[in-house]
Amino acid sequence: MNQASFGATEAEASRLMSMGFEAWIDEQLLQPASVQLPHVRSIPRPQFPFELQPDRVDIWFRNALHANDQLRQRVAFALSEVMVVSQLGALQNAPYGLADYYDMLAENAFANYRDLIEDVTLHPTMGVYLSMLGNERPNPDLNIRPDENYARELMQLFSIGLVELNNDGSPKLDGQNQPISTYDQAVIEGFAHIYTGWTYAGSPTFQTARQTELNQVVPMQLYPNFHDTGAKTVLNDVVIPAGQSGDQDLADALDNIFDHPNVGPFIAIRLIQRLVTSNPSPAYVERIASVFNNNGNGIRGDLGAVVKAILLDPEARPDLPMEIDGKLKEPLLRVTQLWRAYDAVSNSGRYPLVASYILFGQGPLQASHVFNFFSPFFAPPGEIRDASLVAPELQIATEFMGTQFTNFMFFQCFALNQTNTQLDDDDIYIDFSEEMSVAADVDALIDMVADKLLAGNISDPLRQEIAGMLALIPLQETALRAAETIYFVATSPEFAYQL
Amino acid sequence: MSRMNRRDFLLNSGAATALLAATPGAAFSQVVGGGGGFSDYRALVCVFLHGGNDSFNMIVPRSDAEYNAYAAARQNLAIAQTDLLALTPAIPDVVDYGLHPSMAGLRGLFNSGSAAIVNNVGPLIEPTTKDQYFNGSTLLPPQLFSHNDMQDQWQTLKGVGQSATGWAGRMADLIRTSVANQLMATNASLFGANPFQSADETFAYVMGPTGPVPYVGFEPDPINLAQRDAFRAVIESRYNTVYERGFAAVQKRAIDAVDTVTGAISDPSLPAINTVFPQSPLGTQLNTVARLINARDLLQMQRQVFFVGIGGFDSHDNQNQDQPGLLGGISDGLTAFYDAMVELGVSDSVTAFTQSDFGRTLTSNGDGTDHAWGGNQIVVGDAVLGQRLYGEYPVLQIGAEQDVGGGRMIPTTSADQYSATLARWFGIDDTDLVVVAPNINNFAARDLGFML
Repeated sequence: MNQASFGATEAEASRLMSMGFEAWIDEQLLQPASVQLPHVRSIPRPQFPFELQPDRVDIWFRNALHANDQLRQRVAFALSEVMVVSQLGALQNAPYGLADYYDMLAENAFANYRDLIEDVTLHPTMGVYLSMLGNERPNPDLNIRPDENYARELMQLFSIGLVELNNDGSPKLDGQNQPISTYDQAVIEGFAHIYTGWTYAGSPTFQTARQTELNQVVPMQLYPNFHDTGAKTVLNDVVIPAGQSGDQDLADALDNIFDHPNVGPFIAIRLIQRLVTSNPSPAYVERIASVFNNNGNGIRGDLGAVVKAILLDPEARPDLPMEIDGKLKEPLLRVTQLWRAYDAVSNSGRYPLVASYILFGQGPLQASHVFNFFSPFFAPPGEIRDASLVAPELQIATEFMGTQFTNFMFFQCFALNQTNTQLDDDDIYIDFSEEMSVAADVDALIDMVADKLLAGNISDPLRQEIAGMLALIPLQETALRAAETIYFVATSPEFAYQL
Repeated sequence: MSRMNRRDFLLNSGAATALLAATPGAAFSQVVGGGGGFSDYRALVCVFLHGGNDSFNMIVPRSDAEYNAYAAARQNLAIAQTDLLALTPAIPDVVDYGLHPSMAGLRGLFNSGSAAIVNNVGPLIEPTTKDQYFNGSTLLPPQLFSHNDMQDQWQTLKGVGQSATGWAGRMADLIRTSVANQLMATNASLFGANPFQSADETFAYVMGPTGPVPYVGFEPDPINLAQRDAFRAVIESRYNTVYERGFAAVQKRAIDAVDTVTGAISDPSLPAINTVFPQSPLGTQLNTVARLINARDLLQMQRQVFFVGIGGFDSHDNQNQDQPGLLGGISDGLTAFYDAMVELGVSDSVTAFTQSDFGRTLTSNGDGTDHAWGGNQIVVGDAVLGQRLYGEYPVLQIGAEQDVGGGRMIPTTSADQYSATLARWFGIDDTDLVVVAPNINNFAARDLGFML
């Protein structure tokens, strides 16, 4: 359940149990996307657009916590960590564009990857973030050549990566046992020339294009006079001929990337890591990459089929879990899981936690750069690195962020709960009244929290330490006993882990 | 978050006592044996400029012929010749250089001998000419011009190797028995986990930009101390998966260090730091580094490497608008930091230096620049043989000797040489320099001479 949603709730878990996982996934695949843009637009326009960022974050949390399309939202979140744009930087004043970009990811979450990368490429939010927007054909007199930013990152981070991969995700090696680069600088320059001539749709001229409330949510438009019409060399020595239109160039270029054999294993690893495990076996990657390559009906790039295959794979549900199965939960997902389990609300009904990235080290579309909050290759020193494993989420589970998170949970459990009568309107509080009703009974209390947060599997040491703390708190202090128990579970290593 | 007093609520008493600072006496009595291998204190402060600093606009030739070549290459991105802040080197060069007009503070440091510039430095495995670059006859770092790969090269110097450790991490490993008395890790980061300080035998301590964050709810009263002990017991439990163990290990390092370090930096016996730091991400981090250095004796530190970082240097667009703030921020931050070191009497024991992913293309993409290779770096402190530019400044002309296309300059000095020079000053034995900088033996000069 935690693989496919923003945290198990008792209701959803029992529904899943009764209908079976595959049927539940099939149902989820058909759920329409819960979107953000209408909500952001419904807010009266403030003096400065960046003041809407809390509302954008608010609707992200509302959808994550309450929307029916849990799997779609979860995959959209995963995609937002692959095809990264961020509020931090030039997009601070484009809240509508950011909301619409996220909606585009949600709508494409189970669609075809080829359509996804086209929508990503032409979205003005990405256009601003990786500077394809306004990118123009060369002007040798002024030493101006096309911007290479988007050309590089679309390949490196969104689609194929730096080195040639086998279908099982392992690098192909040359005669000297070295990895083989997927592209060189000349190929980047080829694509950079492809991505010329695009800016905000409906602009009077290419060079006077300015962001507006409306044009930040519609695909960029081609201005043919600013598109380079020369021949361009792209991947695998393919030459896109001179004289084509910008639209045709773009279609050919995206086809060229889409058809690269790396995309299957590349996307398989990225999505498996976000949903299931940090260290999938080569066989698991190969099974998923094969579904990407052909969904069974001869279609390449069917993301819905890929997601379903990832979740139904035997490796996603091992009979006898090994010490490298599963993954760390991202801190934001630990928060949403707690909030879903404890019906977190605020008196205003809002979740405008725009400081999410400061509090937890991550927030919706709040990475500090296009490389996401953490690297898919992060391997901390010690046994993980020694065994050539990775643990991406550990990159932001530092001493600093770990303490911040522990402190957040302290405030959440002890102060921001339903017993507090002095809450601010926007304070997000949890409701542990059920726990309070059993709080005198140590085992019943611990079991109840463990059921909600750990699927019932609490370790003996954690149970003992909580019981030891409860022995210090008078029986009548039911709120304190409930808060203490939830605090210890929510800050524990076992809660930070997802199998 | 809430104005409610959590501790009152926790104790349900209403009789809150002031939070007690950790008592230094208790924390500092836990001295382990051994150590004492260095007779002095030295610290390195790595200022990493994320995104790739356009440093050919940071240090610019002022002499007419060289300036004109620069202006022709850079076109609308060129800094006006008359705006450049003149540098007056101790030993005049045939070419005059100037700093970006936003860097007045750094100009002062340079001209007074407390800062040096290292020209056109970058990741290399061996000396490389343009011909060799194009005919493939030298080994090159893989994935040139890619952000994360070039950051990795600067921080790890791994070349074509697979090393996952950084050069500061390897230094910490090399000296670990000599600094066993230290109460804090040799490596400390104020900008997150990083390859630079990653090691095999030691761990970098990652704190926040304002220092370590104390745990709330662990204050010294009976129930809170019990809470702390129980929390510690949970993270010290045995776990079945590598992920839980990895997570718990970091938490344990955090709880082990926090009281000692926060107690030390807020110890009332320490002199106040009166230098005013800029209100910026870099200023905040460097201010914290200064406070940690101020507490070096309480923490029994002899060797420290700090990692601080700022972003925003990936100037693909709006470069002319953004560059003054970016470069001015470096100058203002480093100047304040130097002043604070003078104030603490350690300006000859602390050396700050910059690194960045890469330099940027001399050519423009309209309103910005793209990823390139070599770039210029700054070294600040009174152990620096300052008022000098080191290494060869390239001819900034499209198609010139160092240009592999679009104004991407092949470095004329390697990141290994730059790092080895700093490492030697830090106290790494000559025989161990190759551990710190694995490709150093491929270059004639093991020491660039910018450290006294």
